[in-house]
This record gives sequence, structure tokens and C-alpha cells, in this order.
Amino acid sequence: MLIVAVVAVLAAVGWSARPRPITPAERADAIATELRCPVCQGLSIRDSPSETAREMRDLVAQRVAEGRGDDEIRAEFRRSYGEWVFLTPPLLGLTGLVWLVPLVALAVGGMFALGLVRPHSPVPATPLVPPSVPPSEVVALRERVRREEAFE
Amino acid sequence: MLRTARVGAVVGVLALVVVLGLAFRHDPQDIRSASVGKPAPALDLERLDGSGRFRLVDYAGKVVVVNFFASWCIPCKQEYPALVRAWERYRSADVVILGVLYQDSRDAGLAFQRRMGGTWPTVADDDGRAALSFGTFGVPETFFVGPDGIVAGRHVGPIDEETLVTGIEAIRPVAGR
Repeated sequence: MLIVAVVAVLAAVGWSARPRPITPAERADAIATELRCPVCQGLSIRDSPSETAREMRDLVAQRVAEGRGDDEIRAEFRRSYGEWVFLTPPLLGLTGLVWLVPLVALAVGGMFALGLVRPHSPVPATPLVPPSVPPSEVVALRERVRREEAFE
Repeated sequence: MLRTARVGAVVGVLALVVVLGLAFRHDPQDIRSASVGKPAPALDLERLDGSGRFRLVDYAGKVVVVNFFASWCIPCKQEYPALVRAWERYRSADVVILGVLYQDSRDAGLAFQRRMGGTWPTVADDDGRAALSFGTFGVPETFFVGPDGIVAGRHVGPIDEETLVTGIEAIRPVAGR
């Protein structure tokens, strides 16, 4: 009975999570989320209330309805507005620096901060063993230690 | 370590100064546009006065100054006298000014044009497709299309007569001067 219940639950989860075809409206919506509004420049055309954003959304929806591919639609806006029109800058090319520079700055800043907070290694005031101890004296000291250890 | 930090800070400040210096050298109204240097979009729009259509392709070989405007736009009103003077200066030459009414009603646009004394061809961009194809940010915005059909320049905001003349002369065929 338990096995049947588990199988039923797994089947239900699998069924609900099955890939389903994306609707044209969802496709248009996804592309609209990527495009920057020329009027409200911090917003996507999906979120912007401006008239220009509405016109751009209409154009995206029309191109989707015409059967154009996502890249084809993006290319049309890129032709008119350049890479600027995309809210997420591309990784390749000069705009890739906006991704790279913060990471490099973070790494350099982190190294600098670590260097500041790291405790300095203690430097002994005097060396434990004078560098000029003759080997014969070292041998004698070792012999003495050995005898004292044997005595204990 | 402190020496390295000081050198890093100096380099950072110098880099910032260079970047800001380069940025402030540009006129903010001469925004780099993806449409500049490329063939102009194939405009084919209905004339505002109902006298037919305006097709940009029919004006190949001429300089076309494409001016996006609206009657509700105060800067458009400010720049209009400069457009009128440029039109008077170049209308007999191979230069055409094209007004493109954007985000406005045809009646309001036509009334505005008549009130302000514009006699150049004006078309209605009812669905905004022409503006989007040029990559406009709003009104007023002006594009200079060369005789070869390539967008040679762009001006964002109200344009003055000097900028108009400079833009036109830069792309006008030598024989026409």
C-alpha cells in the first residue's frame, strides 16, 4: 500500500513538472523582460509604463506571432539601439568588462584586506640557537640531554 | 603593503580621472546610436495632410533630415524656427526635411505644423515603428540621412540652426553646394 502511495506521489510530481510548450505570450513576455525601456531606462519594457515601452512590447508580440525566432527579435532591437537595449550586458566583447572588473576589484580588495588584518608572524627577539654555535658544543649538549633523560 | 595600497589608490584615481575626462568631452546630445553608420530604415508612412505616402527610398541621392516631433513637446516648439530657417535655405537644393509625428494625434500634429509655419513633408508614425527602427529615445530627435541612404548623424533634443547646417553640409554632395 505504501509503495503504491509513493509511486502515485512520484507520478503526480513528475506529471506536474513535465516540460510543456511555451505559449507565444510567455515568449513575448520573456523577451520583453530582457529589453531596456528607452524612456524609463532602469526598467524593462515589460515593467515600464511608458508609451514607448508599450510600442516595443507590441512589436515583440507581433514578431513572435509572425514566427520570428528569439535571436531574430533581439537582433532587430540591437540594430536600432545597440547592446544598450539589453538590461543584462553580454559576457563577450567590451561590455564583458562590467562583469570582469568587479570580480577583479573584489579579488584585489580581498587580498589587500587580508594583508591588513592578518597578524604578523612573531619575530623572536633573539635566536634560540646562536648561529655561531660550534658543532662540537652541539654534540656535547646533545650528550648531556641524553644522560639527563637516562638518569630520570 | 601600505606602499602597494597607495600606488593602487593613485592608479585608481588616475583611471577615474581619465574615464571621466573622456566621458565629458562628448556632447551628451550627440548620443552614439546603433543606427548611425547603417542604412536608414525603409520608411513608408502616410503623409499627415493626406496627400499620399512618403517613401524614403524615393529620396535616394538626396540629404534627408528626419525630425521626430510631437505637438505637446515644448523642446519641439523651441527648435521649430531653426528647422524653418534650414528648410528655407535648402529647400531648392537636394535636401529634404521630413517631419515624423510621434506619439501624437494627426490633427494636433497638423495644426502644430501649420501654426509653426512648417511646409516640409510630414508623416504620421501612428504605431511608433519608424521611431523604434531609428532607435529614438523620445522627441525631439533628428537624424541626418545621406544621399547614399546611410544614417550619418543623430541629434537628441532640440536642434539649432548651426547644428542643422553642419549636419547637412557634412553629407551634402559637393556638386550641390
